[in-house]
Amino acid sequence: MDNTGKQGLTVNLLYMGKKEETKLQANIEVTDFGPIKITGNFLFRDMKRGTEDVKGEVYLCGCGKSGNQPYCDDSHKNK
Amino acid sequence: MERDDKQFSGGRKYRNNEITVYWKPSACVHASYCYRELIEVFDPSRRPWVDMDGASTDRIIETVNMCPTEALSWKWNDEKKNLEVDKDQLNHINFRRRELMEQVDEVSDEKPVTVKIMADGPILIKGDFSLTYNGNRKEVHESMISLCRCGTSFHLPFCDGQHRKTGFNG
Repeated sequence: MDNTGKQGLTVNLLYMGKKEETKLQANIEVTDFGPIKITGNFLFRDMKRGTEDVKGEVYLCGCGKSGNQPYCDDSHKNK
Repeated sequence: MERDDKQFSGGRKYRNNEITVYWKPSACVHASYCYRELIEVFDPSRRPWVDMDGASTDRIIETVNMCPTEALSWKWNDEKKNLEVDKDQLNHINFRRRELMEQVDEVSDEKPVTVKIMADGPILIKGDFSLTYNGNRKEVHESMISLCRCGTSFHLPFCDGQHRKTGFNG
């Protein structure tokens, strides 16, 4: 359900800086149980598999069912 | 006001004969370093969940220093020793807030966002970014969030620690 403009998204911030003029480096898009899409300027570290890369775009699993963790493999579409 | 020697405002504290560990649950993001690294001391399924007799003081300090937030911090019981603690002791109570601010200060223009996949846990995202959740977009500056990867959180899209209870493997 798209409720853009009706209610703002409350973000659970772990800590918050002071400046608000800093330039956004990346965009994160999440939908319930769908993949987590990250694009932009970001460093990608996988603590379980011990990798570190710079990637311009990733689709991460958000449903927990992917057979190719941490990436989405479309398993969320299988009911 | 401290109600007894096991509490402080915002959390609980645990002592052995050398150090005190402070636990502030509201700051926990379930990054899971503590119990993965030292289950003998930090066992979330046990009450109390911290057993200061479970490992050496060195190991406890090492593990508390891994906590990425203010949830765990420590100090020497001997106040004189606290004056000599160096900055490499990240989660020492003297540096806790300063350390967080230093991490924030590192974020300058053009600094890449860091995306960290925690083993069998959430995604920690730090820096300047936008977050769009089910069509709602919010800009986040110089901050950190923790997103659910297992799909069982009651506070989606954020992690609430459910991955441990459901045994998420990813």
